[in-house]
Amino acid sequence: MLACLAIPGFELRAALRSRPSLALQPAALAPPEGAEPLIGPVTAAAHQVGVRPGMRMGEALATCPKLVLVEPDPAGAERDWEEIVRRLEDNGFAVESAQPGTAYFDTRGVERLYGGLEPALKRALAAVGSHWDARVGAATRRFAALAAANVARPGQVLVVSDEHTQDFLAPLPLRLLGLDERRREELEALGVKKVGQLAGLPGAAVAERLGPDGRSAWGQARGGKRGRIRGRRPPAEVVEVLEFPEAVGNELTLRRALASLAEKAVNRPERADRFIRKVALSARLVGGASWRRTLTFRDPAGDHDRIRIALGPKIAELPAPVRALRLELVELTEETGRQLELVKTEGDELQNRLREGLRQVKASTGGGVVATVVEVAPWSRIPEARALFVPQDG
Amino acid sequence: MVSHTGSASALRTAGRLNEPRPALVEPEADGAPRLVNRLAVELIREEWRVLDRWWTEQPINRRYFDVVLESGQNVVVFHDDEHGRWFSQRGA
Repeated sequence: MLACLAIPGFELRAALRSRPSLALQPAALAPPEGAEPLIGPVTAAAHQVGVRPGMRMGEALATCPKLVLVEPDPAGAERDWEEIVRRLEDNGFAVESAQPGTAYFDTRGVERLYGGLEPALKRALAAVGSHWDARVGAATRRFAALAAANVARPGQVLVVSDEHTQDFLAPLPLRLLGLDERRREELEALGVKKVGQLAGLPGAAVAERLGPDGRSAWGQARGGKRGRIRGRRPPAEVVEVLEFPEAVGNELTLRRALASLAEKAVNRPERADRFIRKVALSARLVGGASWRRTLTFRDPAGDHDRIRIALGPKIAELPAPVRALRLELVELTEETGRQLELVKTEGDELQNRLREGLRQVKASTGGGVVATVVEVAPWSRIPEARALFVPQDG
Repeated sequence: MVSHTGSASALRTAGRLNEPRPALVEPEADGAPRLVNRLAVELIREEWRVLDRWWTEQPINRRYFDVVLESGQNVVVFHDDEHGRWFSQRGA
């Protein structure tokens, strides 16, 4: 079974961890700087008085004048989410993290360990901890698992068997599908308000009317793909932090701080001479907000100068003075040395280099993006029958 | 035929290359496209028919057009005569 763990409004919960008293008051996540003024997730108290996620800020404040807008804390949310994913991994689950607050895992490998499907899912919930109000859905298809997790109550495990998938999905609202607002409104204007109504339409007609997005939503409405869980490689744990005695806004000082952090991180013994594939620079800003940028190197880096040069321009994007600057070496390579080429690479060495290159591409763009084209009937007069693309695992 | 050497699980997740995509086409009276995705057709470079798998339950009956649009884009579209719909396709 595929399982989905969901923590609705995760970013808001993460931002409220430092101010737990706000969780019981009408509060909403403020829009990120520079984005459209639409509020993010809301607390139960805000929901009760009519404030909804995605509302315009003005409308939300008019609906509830006491509404508290909580500054997003992306770096804190990412750290909390990383901690949750690690706890799941420590309990034996190979986790594919979709976004902070949503993760998928396959239960097949751990069902025997925990004595069945439900005990394994309960174990996952226990690993996350009760204060996050996590819920788990399980089904044979990915979207059905996601829908089950969204429908379940906090702390509940909801399992949907394959034969009941269609019946389970049918009465659910369209907002669960990955459709954009306009498409959803278009469907609702046509009288299609439930997932089951969309699933009952002919696929080709949906594709014609709504395009590829509509076709993919229609596929989801019928349960979605079975898919496969791609467990992530746990990130490295090399972190360097520099706290400033007072908030710093001067770019030159921050660049110097970055250079010092890069040097320290690269010289850490845990790196064990491995090359750095991906780095993250985050900052705690004055006023309590946070900021984070990640960067994947085209060629894995082995010296601190490359990190400094690559991350330097990001410093200029900082929206406010900084209280603390943090550099993480998020992903490291496995090899520790690199031999320059004297003769043309062949055989196993060539294969290894190709594999390494593919891993680099995956680190930068995510799983499932590298595929091999396999010709199956190159002579066919039907273009789509000539070749397949097969996802590569490395 | 080139045989695939990958694992069975990899094959399960394989997709087809150059799958047709639904296209918004407004045809002339003779069935040739006049507008493709709201852009006027400047030139029809080539036209051909593909009739295949007529012995199966999913026969293929397509009328292909290789067209140049007013934007300068070169697109291949076909009318699926079996289902009465238009698609665009790469690799044709």
